[in-house]
Amino acid sequence: MSARPAPNLPVPAAQWATTAAAYAVPVCFVLAPMALFLATSVFSVDHGDIVYRPTLANYVRFFTDPLFPTIFWRTCLLCLAVAVLCVLLAYPVAYFLTTLRGRRRYVLLVLLLVPLLMSYVIKIYAVRSILGGNGMLNRALMALGLIDQPSMLFVFNLNAVLLTLTVLLIPFAVLPIFLSLERIPQALRHASADLGASGAQTFWRITVPLSLPGAASAASFVFVLAIGDFLTPQMVGGQSGFTFGRIVYSQFGTAYNWPFGAALSVILAVTVIAAIALGGRFGRQGRR
Amino acid sequence: MRRADLAAAALLAGLTTIVFVLLYGPLMVPILSSFFAVSHGTVDWSQPTLSAYAALTGNESVLAALWTTLVVGACAVALSVAIGTGLALYYASPMAKGREFLQFLLFLPFLMPPIITGLALLIFFREIAFERSLVTIVIGHTVFVLALVYRTILTRLQSLSASLVEASYDLGASGWQTFRLVLLPNLSSAMAGAAILAFALSFDETMITLLVTGTQSTLPVRLWAMMRLGFTPDINALVALILFFTTALCLGAVRFLMPASALAGTEQG
Repeated sequence: MSARPAPNLPVPAAQWATTAAAYAVPVCFVLAPMALFLATSVFSVDHGDIVYRPTLANYVRFFTDPLFPTIFWRTCLLCLAVAVLCVLLAYPVAYFLTTLRGRRRYVLLVLLLVPLLMSYVIKIYAVRSILGGNGMLNRALMALGLIDQPSMLFVFNLNAVLLTLTVLLIPFAVLPIFLSLERIPQALRHASADLGASGAQTFWRITVPLSLPGAASAASFVFVLAIGDFLTPQMVGGQSGFTFGRIVYSQFGTAYNWPFGAALSVILAVTVIAAIALGGRFGRQGRR
Repeated sequence: MRRADLAAAALLAGLTTIVFVLLYGPLMVPILSSFFAVSHGTVDWSQPTLSAYAALTGNESVLAALWTTLVVGACAVALSVAIGTGLALYYASPMAKGREFLQFLLFLPFLMPPIITGLALLIFFREIAFERSLVTIVIGHTVFVLALVYRTILTRLQSLSASLVEASYDLGASGWQTFRLVLLPNLSSAMAGAAILAFALSFDETMITLLVTGTQSTLPVRLWAMMRLGFTPDINALVALILFFTTALCLGAVRFLMPASALAGTEQG
């Protein structure tokens, strides 16, 4: 094992060499890019060239421009709605999984997780073919006689982004909720039943509080994934479905203002870190 | 009360079915329509045909993208498994310095949204004047999948008994012999599972690739470009083939990584 130093080197030198080797990749390809990215956010751009003089202008521009905070806030609300929807849909599924025994439980779990590794772009494309003005959903609604002409409620707007992200991210919510439900000792539920609680009472007063950590981390997971996405809004959002991720991406493409894009990404990263921290915090409180 | 329980169970099963329809239903649309002719955005359901698949075999840009994807995947797997194994061994060894910080660095690209990882790498490559190419895609993918590979191998490593390594040293084996003859055989199935997972992730990675790619495009990036132009029949055929391939990959990974007890159905609960 690497713990044993090579025989021809003095021990401390070998240890330092191994440590340097272990840190080489993470430092070169994670730490350095992240540091440069942070630094870029305080630079500015002049005629397509980056000016290497620190300034807070990018951040001032974000907070003073009426456009960016609005879109940022709207995107946060959208992703929060996605997170809540995903948890509400995933909870019964995760609970159903825990009622199954043995092999069936894991086969079903795997079936729920397989879509996670399927191509993201393909899933967006597939959902879009259902949501479009001429898509399956509109045709089904018309065939059922619920509407008499195609509804534009979920065609190339923020509603379409909401629906697509929800469908895409449900599996990410199932797993943490399932794991936290699975950890609840059966004895607690039996004890509750023995003491005369009904099934519903046991569920609301034992199962739900004990599974809150899982639900909280599921919600923060989904929120983080949703807010970082720019492919879904680009594909199904259309003109009105502008989200923060799309703006960040556009700064590196058409707008060609990398420092401003980096500053916007820093704001995105801070939001993500806050969401992860909040998820963990709620999780611990639930566990008591 | 018995009736209430039955109703609850039926409701749960019903909701689960709905979620399954939401997850798998949309995927059926392109798969089904890949077997029919499409003209002007509408599918002609009257006559099944394989013409979409035939069109695909002649689409040079798709075949080139497929080749790029396979090369990138193979490189990313080889690099991430080698580096991940090394890092897991280092983390578990008593001489490791700043363990938690190192692990934090490794997890960072996986925790942060891909757009941030991608942008950070994009800025990095520009600042060191490194031309965007196949190499930058490989680096991006490796950094992204490394966390998962490392974690999978470390979990297996930590589940091995320390006495295995001690016994090997007691019997006079060198560090290298212990690694090759004791640790490697015990880690191999975790490494294989991690390799498949890494390949599946790399195969589908789009957001980082979009940012760090030069002129080359991988299959998802090529698909992304095709889809924005609208529906063409060969997209559906390509989508069907990719879905089939990634599902097979996932099931392969599950076989290597699932505890045998779960598959055999012997459950402790």
